[in-house]
Amino acid sequence: MRTTAAIDLEGVTKTFGSLKAVDALDLTIPRGALYGFIGPNGAGKTTAIRMIMSILLPDLGRLSVLGHASALEAKDRIGYLPEERGLYRKMKVAPYLTFVARLKGVPERGLRERVHSAIERVGLKGVESKRCEELSKGMSQKIQILAALIHEPDLLILDEPFSGLDPVSTRLLKDMILAEHRRGATVLFSTHVMPQAEELCDHVVMIHRGRKVLDDPVNAILRPQDACALTFDPLEPHADVSRVRALPEVASCAAVGGGYEVALRDGADPARAIQSVVAALPVARIELKRPTLEDVFVGIAAGDAAVSPPEQRRAAGAAA
Amino acid sequence: MSKVLRIAAREFAATVFTKGFVVGLLIVPVVGGLVAIIGPRLVDDRAPAVEGEIAIVDRTDAVLPRVRDAMAARSSPAAVTELVERARAGGAADALVEMLGATTELTLIERSSSADVEQEKRWLTEGDSTPRRLALAVVHENAVESASGELGSYDLYVPSRQDARTEVIVHSLLREAILDARAAARGLDRAELSRVLTVPRVRSVSVGDGGESDTVFGLNMIVPMVFMGLLMMGVMFAGQGMLTTTVEEKSNRVVEVLLSAVSPMQLMGGKLLGHMAVAFLAMGLYLGLGLAVLAAFSLFGLLDLKLILYLVIFFLIALFTLGSLMMAAGSAVNDMREAQALQAPLIMLMILPIILWMPILREPNGTLAYVVSFVPPVNTFGMLLRLGSSSPPPAWEVWLSIAIGVAGVFGAVWVAAKVFRIGILMFGRPPDLRTLVRWLRAA
Repeated sequence: MRTTAAIDLEGVTKTFGSLKAVDALDLTIPRGALYGFIGPNGAGKTTAIRMIMSILLPDLGRLSVLGHASALEAKDRIGYLPEERGLYRKMKVAPYLTFVARLKGVPERGLRERVHSAIERVGLKGVESKRCEELSKGMSQKIQILAALIHEPDLLILDEPFSGLDPVSTRLLKDMILAEHRRGATVLFSTHVMPQAEELCDHVVMIHRGRKVLDDPVNAILRPQDACALTFDPLEPHADVSRVRALPEVASCAAVGGGYEVALRDGADPARAIQSVVAALPVARIELKRPTLEDVFVGIAAGDAAVSPPEQRRAAGAAA
Repeated sequence: MSKVLRIAAREFAATVFTKGFVVGLLIVPVVGGLVAIIGPRLVDDRAPAVEGEIAIVDRTDAVLPRVRDAMAARSSPAAVTELVERARAGGAADALVEMLGATTELTLIERSSSADVEQEKRWLTEGDSTPRRLALAVVHENAVESASGELGSYDLYVPSRQDARTEVIVHSLLREAILDARAAARGLDRAELSRVLTVPRVRSVSVGDGGESDTVFGLNMIVPMVFMGLLMMGVMFAGQGMLTTTVEEKSNRVVEVLLSAVSPMQLMGGKLLGHMAVAFLAMGLYLGLGLAVLAAFSLFGLLDLKLILYLVIFFLIALFTLGSLMMAAGSAVNDMREAQALQAPLIMLMILPIILWMPILREPNGTLAYVVSFVPPVNTFGMLLRLGSSSPPPAWEVWLSIAIGVAGVFGAVWVAAKVFRIGILMFGRPPDLRTLVRWLRAA
């Protein structure tokens, strides 16, 4: 299976004993895309990523990475940050990055400058000759990220890259990911932090219990017209909201903070619902409650994975 | 440079350019030298003199006076000078035994020839006496003369937890005294008899195509031992390094970064090559040192240089077999503590040659030596011992052993690769035998 996509998985399955870690996963990531890979703990994200990297071999299914049947044939063009990160504790920082760069096929010419400028880029100038064991956790994380980027890969796969980073380092990493994307690299990263996925990704794939349950562009997932709820603040603080609850479009109306949140019935038109609420009660503010990726995530993770993605989204909206 | 060589180069540098390696490399010759130089001095200087009482019941009445005279004579300066002269003349072993006698502070307790032996035995164990009661010797009635012609000896009784030197001393004293008494009873001159019975040991001369040279006593035992020791040291050096670095890479979680750049087989191959180079460096240094010593003493010609070639061949076979299995063991565990359980059988295989060394050298073509030469992975050690012995095996046996060893390498690397591939990314409970078998089937 050789395609023009950066990553192409077809029915990929991996079983450990009685546990099906990844179940018939189909996934196509076009070149140059920025994909988020989300899912609860134990969903199978890391196993799927390891299969993409050819660190694990699938039991069933076929995959293609950068046009090759195996990532082994394209390892020098792939940057990888594993979930379980590590360094050679006794090695010094610059020799470590040089070693990784050489393994990734970076030519000797300009290698030294490349390593030093990369270290400088993450604000760690001066640590080149420190042993890795002398670095703080945050510094180690940055060096590990550099090890994934040092060879300017065509495909960048990051497994939980934001875990353990402080806000400043998180911002730095986001900028680095976006810079790689702008450079033309295809980026796939897994995360638990939904606002980051929402902020960075073009497209989100979610797997749950080994199966893909969501595979859509972010702006399609979070379309305003798919909103299933409204929020409003009454003009009078103690206004009677029973007229709102009685509206045919409304499933429920509950006090949240200083205002109210209204869940709409299935099939209700949000625009008509706004008009009905305003007609029923003078309001100081009313707006559609847009679903967030976190709502979608929680809705799917809390629900039944067998339900199809559109139904999941509806369920998620209702839950919100 | 290929990725395998890059991994190998890193492993080599990370191992060799450390204080631990340098100290480890130097410590063997340094400790060996210290033992050789200081050891004997410590033994001579620190060994306490044997002090106490020796009781003798002499049923012949002819031995006891001679023991008395001998004990008096041995403590005199003239006696010590005589012992030194005898040691110079080549009777070092006998002189040593007598010297042990001379360095004692013994008191002779003379008992009646008709003394009751059971009562005298009680004397040995009565209370905590000072000076200590060391021994009771009962000289047989027929020790000097016998009507039947069959001569007797003596019985020796000692308390429990006795210093072994006491028996050596008493035997030396009584032997000389009994021989003197026997000679006197027959009208023979003891000094003349000793001269007649003494034939000094000579040093043999090796005759070969290159001429004649003095034979170095024990070389036929030392050479195989040294070569086997080098082989064992090289394999343990490299094998232990492979296991340790694999466990470290796994516990540091750096292994997944490596596997994003190289395949498990490239990683394993690089580690094998890197540690092989480390072992070659250590072996080369020791071997070079050994050859320099031989050259310095003009003994270079005594060594068959083909042995070095065989050492390299058998080292490679043993390293690839045991080293790959050590790496597989390292890949399957989470830390060094867990690794100890899995590496124990492999360590046993490595030290087995120490146990088999003497039996194989006594009979280099015996059944044990023959069988060991063809059972991997110990065949490498066994065949090298036989090759270094005074009666090396025929060439076909050597090459058959090499062929079996190479087949063993393929088998071991096959098993190790399968375990390594799965184990290196497995964390948690270390695998039992059933799990390992499942990995072998699954990989």
